[in-house]
Amino acid sequence: MTTTGTADERPLFGPDSRFSGFFDDPRWALAIIRATVLEAAHPQIGAALVDNSTFVAHPWRRLRNTFLSMRRMFGADQAVREREAARLNRLHARMSGSDSRGRAYDAMDRATRAWVVATLFESAVTMCRLSGQPLDQDTMERMYAEYRSFLAALDGDASELPEDLDDFWRYFDRVVEDELENTEAARVILFRLFDHLPAPALLDGAPTLWAAGRAVVGPLLGAITVASLPESYRRRAGLPEMPGASTLMQGAYCAAGLARFLPEGWVNAESIIEALSLSPDSDDPRARTVAALTARMKRASALLRLLTPLSGVPQPDPAPSAGTGESRRSAEEFFRTVLDQTGDGHLDWPDLAAMARELCTRLDLDEPEETRLYDAFAAWWRELQEALDTDGDGRVSAEEYAAAVPSLAGPALIRVAEVLFDATDKDGNGSIDADEYRTLFRTAFHRDLTTTDGVYSQSAFVSDFLSFMSGRRTNTAYDPLLADA
Amino acid sequence: MPRHVACVMDGNGRWAQRRSLPRTAGHQAAETTVIDIIEAARAAGVEWLSLYAFSTENWNRPGAEVDFLMGLVRRVVRKHAPLLLARGIRCRFLGVADSRIPRELARDFEDLATLTSDNRGMTLTVAFDHGGRRDIVEAARSLIRSGTPADEVTERLFADHLPFPDTPDVDLVIRTSGEQRISNFMLWQVAYAEWVFPEVLWPDFRAPDFLACLRTYRRRDRRFGGVPPRTTGDPS
Repeated sequence: MTTTGTADERPLFGPDSRFSGFFDDPRWALAIIRATVLEAAHPQIGAALVDNSTFVAHPWRRLRNTFLSMRRMFGADQAVREREAARLNRLHARMSGSDSRGRAYDAMDRATRAWVVATLFESAVTMCRLSGQPLDQDTMERMYAEYRSFLAALDGDASELPEDLDDFWRYFDRVVEDELENTEAARVILFRLFDHLPAPALLDGAPTLWAAGRAVVGPLLGAITVASLPESYRRRAGLPEMPGASTLMQGAYCAAGLARFLPEGWVNAESIIEALSLSPDSDDPRARTVAALTARMKRASALLRLLTPLSGVPQPDPAPSAGTGESRRSAEEFFRTVLDQTGDGHLDWPDLAAMARELCTRLDLDEPEETRLYDAFAAWWRELQEALDTDGDGRVSAEEYAAAVPSLAGPALIRVAEVLFDATDKDGNGSIDADEYRTLFRTAFHRDLTTTDGVYSQSAFVSDFLSFMSGRRTNTAYDPLLADA
Repeated sequence: MPRHVACVMDGNGRWAQRRSLPRTAGHQAAETTVIDIIEAARAAGVEWLSLYAFSTENWNRPGAEVDFLMGLVRRVVRKHAPLLLARGIRCRFLGVADSRIPRELARDFEDLATLTSDNRGMTLTVAFDHGGRRDIVEAARSLIRSGTPADEVTERLFADHLPFPDTPDVDLVIRTSGEQRISNFMLWQVAYAEWVFPEVLWPDFRAPDFLACLRTYRRRDRRFGGVPPRTTGDPS
């Protein structure tokens, strides 16, 4: 099985593929959630997600990265695809471990990876069915060939997925019947993720509005997703059957399907995702509009809060001290937003690995730079563990961290900063110019940056990195990079 | 017409005692006056109005009274927020640094300030948990942190480090109830202020009394000790 060519000789990748046709389809948003639950229900994937994934604490960043990666994988350019596949393989090769019951997982396991591709394909087919616009047999077979090629591009060949579409359905039903479980990861996605979904950068200034919207939409999304899962899995996992849920689910898919009547270009997944991750202080031309919008939303939220009747309104959010331009954050907040990348309440190697992963993705690193960066983070992890893990359970809790904040800036962290500097300094001239800076931070030089002659020196870079990581300075360029959801 | 008028709202407790009511009743009665005076100042064309609501020394009052005050202020802020917004009044809170201030109250202060930040009608500064000396000390700290050489420190530069540096000098301070003290109120900004001390207690103070104070001010001959009229503030 090669990666190109079927009966009608159209390329399986690129703008003409079925996959590209679904890219901007709003139904895809619902289908992706469904596919992710089915993935997470696989015990191996579920364990890997719970341990390593940043989707709870930084879902928007994760979404953006996945989106860009998928676009590369399904793009027309063979070289880009091969490079992305190699990158994904390196990334997954770093993930292995064991779940809460001691069963080993390995993100490179071939059968497991085939299941990920299978859920994506099956969810694409199902989303068409649920919205009342089922695919015909030819289209389905063509799309199946595309997804098999996708797996082949990742894995070398697609032998883990049946060659024939008919056999695929048997394979799919068998896995759902025999292998899927009610994993923690699946429960997190269904019942916790949307109820606690942090606001994307765009809406960060309006926590009240976000929380109000989330309180309505979160449970709905959960109910819609549950209703769209295969019946046999719902039964085995003991998921609730709610009256009207299936009507609601079909209604949601139908409504999303109606978007095909919108003028072309109205719904564009890329611009939506890019806009969501736009933070008001970036130098993007749209940022001014965003900043104005954010200011309005802030005022609207303020009015909403002031108008809320007083009696029995708990205000759990700690109020930042008024108007003093607070530039330091509390140890607890830093732990939650920056250090605990996987959002499990503990600082562990996967948290630091997630930081390294994010930095490698931003900088688009190849080997051996990628390994150097990971190694630096690993050394930092050993240093942190030694200094902070006072109860010896192998991980660092928020309390242990808060008790020992000053010891964070050890030599290993300085080493991380230096390696990061080298990786960012692509041309190796010993300083970071505006373009290199933009690659890492996606913004121009910060106004208060200590730059001389438009370049960022190593010493300034290292000291800024340290002050972010240990001095807990906020409002730095690192915030959108590591702290934003 | 004075550009910046400040009121030290004195006499709530005495007002209540004269009526054999608990001191808290006096604070409650003060609410009406506050709203009346804000409206009167706006109508009279005063651009900046400052109210001394709570000093850093007021924490020494009985705990129950402080708690009551916090609750009262919160209710007042929330009740009148839409009105202040509609009247085009920009509100902000000077001080508000003590951790004893309930978190919800600080949140409301912040919300009201955010809500009205684009208003251009009149700027109302509420000094809450305010101490004039503390502001000066904070400014000194900020100056030292910024690494300004000693020779370069001028009055204007120093004023830029005070909280809300756009606040102009106070032209007129009204202290009700006949008390004649400064009580650590906006020490830097009142340097050249004219003071009037009406005998009336704050809960009885009304718009006509306020206008009478403005008239008194206009009859004063301000000399500024030979110093230019505005040492601080944005001359716009």
